[in-house]
Amino acid sequence: MDPLILSRMQFGANISFHILFPTITIALGWVLLFFKLRYNATGDSAWIRAYFTWVKVFALSFAMGVVTGVTMSFQFGTNWPGYMEKVGNIAGPLLAYEILTAFFLEAAFLGIMLFGFRRVSNRIHTLATVLVAGGTTVSAFWIIALNSWMQTPAGFEIRDGVAHAVDWWAVVFNPSMPYRLVHMLLASGLTVSFLIAGLSALRYLYGDRSESMWKALRTGVFTAAILIPIQIFAGDQHGLNTLEHQPQKIAAMEANWNTGPNVPLVLFALPDEAAKENRFEIAIPDGASLVLRHSTSGVVPGLNDYPGNHPPVFPVFWGFRIMVGTGVLMLLVSWSAAFFLKRRHSLPKPLALLMVPMALSGWLATLAGWYTTEIGRQPWLVTGVLKTADAVGPVAGSHVALTLAIYLILYVLLLIAYLGVLVHLALKAAKDGDSSPLPGAMKTAMSQPAAGE
Amino acid sequence: MTFDWPTALPLIFAGLMGLAILIYVILDGFDLGIGILFAAAEDAEQDTMIAAIGPFWDANETWLVLAVGLLLVAFPMAHGVILTALYIPVFVLLVGLILRGVAFDFRAKVPTERKHRWNRIFFLGSIIASLAQGYMLGVYVLGLDVGFGGMAFGVLVAFCLAAAYAAMGAAWVIYKTEGELQKKAVRWLRTTLVLTALGMAAISLATPFASPRIFDKWFVWPAMLYLSPLPILSALLFGWLWRQTFHLPKPDDRHSLTPFLTLAAIFALGFAGLAWSFYPFVVPDRLTIWQAASAPESLAIILAGAVVVLPVIIFYSFYAYRVFGGKATDLTYD
Repeated sequence: MDPLILSRMQFGANISFHILFPTITIALGWVLLFFKLRYNATGDSAWIRAYFTWVKVFALSFAMGVVTGVTMSFQFGTNWPGYMEKVGNIAGPLLAYEILTAFFLEAAFLGIMLFGFRRVSNRIHTLATVLVAGGTTVSAFWIIALNSWMQTPAGFEIRDGVAHAVDWWAVVFNPSMPYRLVHMLLASGLTVSFLIAGLSALRYLYGDRSESMWKALRTGVFTAAILIPIQIFAGDQHGLNTLEHQPQKIAAMEANWNTGPNVPLVLFALPDEAAKENRFEIAIPDGASLVLRHSTSGVVPGLNDYPGNHPPVFPVFWGFRIMVGTGVLMLLVSWSAAFFLKRRHSLPKPLALLMVPMALSGWLATLAGWYTTEIGRQPWLVTGVLKTADAVGPVAGSHVALTLAIYLILYVLLLIAYLGVLVHLALKAAKDGDSSPLPGAMKTAMSQPAAGE
Repeated sequence: MTFDWPTALPLIFAGLMGLAILIYVILDGFDLGIGILFAAAEDAEQDTMIAAIGPFWDANETWLVLAVGLLLVAFPMAHGVILTALYIPVFVLLVGLILRGVAFDFRAKVPTERKHRWNRIFFLGSIIASLAQGYMLGVYVLGLDVGFGGMAFGVLVAFCLAAAYAAMGAAWVIYKTEGELQKKAVRWLRTTLVLTALGMAAISLATPFASPRIFDKWFVWPAMLYLSPLPILSALLFGWLWRQTFHLPKPDDRHSLTPFLTLAAIFALGFAGLAWSFYPFVVPDRLTIWQAASAPESLAIILAGAVVVLPVIIFYSFYAYRVFGGKATDLTYD
């Protein structure tokens, strides 16, 4: 098979698997800080129980994020040497600053955050939590800056065929960067709040009515209910930004084949790229014009303006719809759960049952959104600067195929093990309830097994 | 000679990258070594060994990310050439590191009956990653030659490096534990030292035949004279440490850190020798550090950050080691 397609599949597989875990750790760090601060303020042991249940999820997710992140740093060289040769002067410093300002910070204080509760003062432990949470967010900042620069490059010039930075501020805060950063941070917040709400709902279904379960459940549900409308607004703004800077991506997202006014909003269709039309289309008349231009006669860009220079329509169209559909479902579920928790102080069983699979809804929406924006960048690796096909390395297709296959097997097995541990931790917490040993009160010798249990 | 940035910056970055690799090899060396020694340890000992590295391994592995990151950002051309040539070994290394890294957490969180499985995976990941690193080093030393001779040489270096890592692991266990396990670690150290010394002797004999270029760099007068302290000092340290293993542990646990520091010094000496063999190439015989370097303005902006941040990183890394200083006690999430 073609090394280009295989390399793209491999990179896609690696980064998809990787992004699952930072998406959790970025926001979970702040949620843990919230638990910790509530404990500091109230002295209520339920908060610190919630902390110790979720810090295990954090530790595991962090480890998964680290090892898959190391893979990413090698992938640039093994599969895409043309990328660094062409834009290394821009990408290099951004990646270097991520390592210098974020990775070491997280890694050094993670140990204190995880295992240092009784070795350092409470204040230092809280500080370590702040630094780890801050580190994950700073890390996201640099990566989003680089990714956005690839989407909407700015602040550079091409000399001797190689990109050179002329204005670092413009490079970092390129046109799509603020929108993408906000969108991604909110996505992380939603992923974590649904994960916490979902696993707490699982505990609820197993009859756990402990204070730590309620605290985690409420935190998850209310955070989700607050964040989702903000995310819908931020996503809309991000879409308008894309319309301005990457209209061909919008054309593919809307499966709009011809530029013009009164463009319908396509709800369902099977885009057919050969025939340049949609099959089985269900659409709202003038909808896309209204959403994107705030007027029924607004002109929406069509794919006919970008012959041979637009992304594949089918995956972008459907990636976008899966993301938006999941978002709508998140709105319905989180608002109903918030309603029941606020008014009835309980959860109806069907709703709790629905919340359990919704624990992974953040992952689905995040992946679908990233597929939309990354496939939507094609055929460019760096818009207008470097085509994906020109960056691929000279490695034989068979090697790429072999390693891809092993990566996929490994990732599936790890994912099963990871989800298994999440459920195991939730059920264990459900069984222990508020009777789990209270870490803060354990002033005796550290006699627990190294298993951390 | 006048000082000019375009000449100096690539040199500085080559130095920084070398430093990051050396720190990585020493720090993650003992993590990986402990993983290798897992095969020889009892269940309870394994828990203590994990507790001796649990709070640190993550930060230790970050030095690899920094080293690869510096190669990536400072020498993008070399990054592409080296990593595409070492495609399969890099892949094997990554699989090893993934298995090793996740096993740390899984072994502590899965139901008890599955813990053994993750202990085995931890060992496997550690040994795979160590062998892959050694193999890559060997092939790289020979100028990315992947003929039969190059592969055989790579395998030789792979086993030598794995033995050296195991020795580092044993030395770290001597430092971080007491009682039976510590005595056991002394025996491990003695065995792995012999294996490492045999491997290094074989490599030293093979290198001049395998690479005339390196031969020419070492065996010319007067370079031979200036360089002679490197092998002589290494050999002395080896011999001294081997004799020490018959007297450890000492009363009151004195000098428990000495084996580790001695090994770190041997690693540093070996590393200096390697650096001499390569200079000024980053890809042997193909790309010098100046040919492969990024634009000076990009290097300058990274350097500015590195100068500010690296001391802070080193400071808080020391702090983290101090917080978890002393003998390893069982790790709990509190």
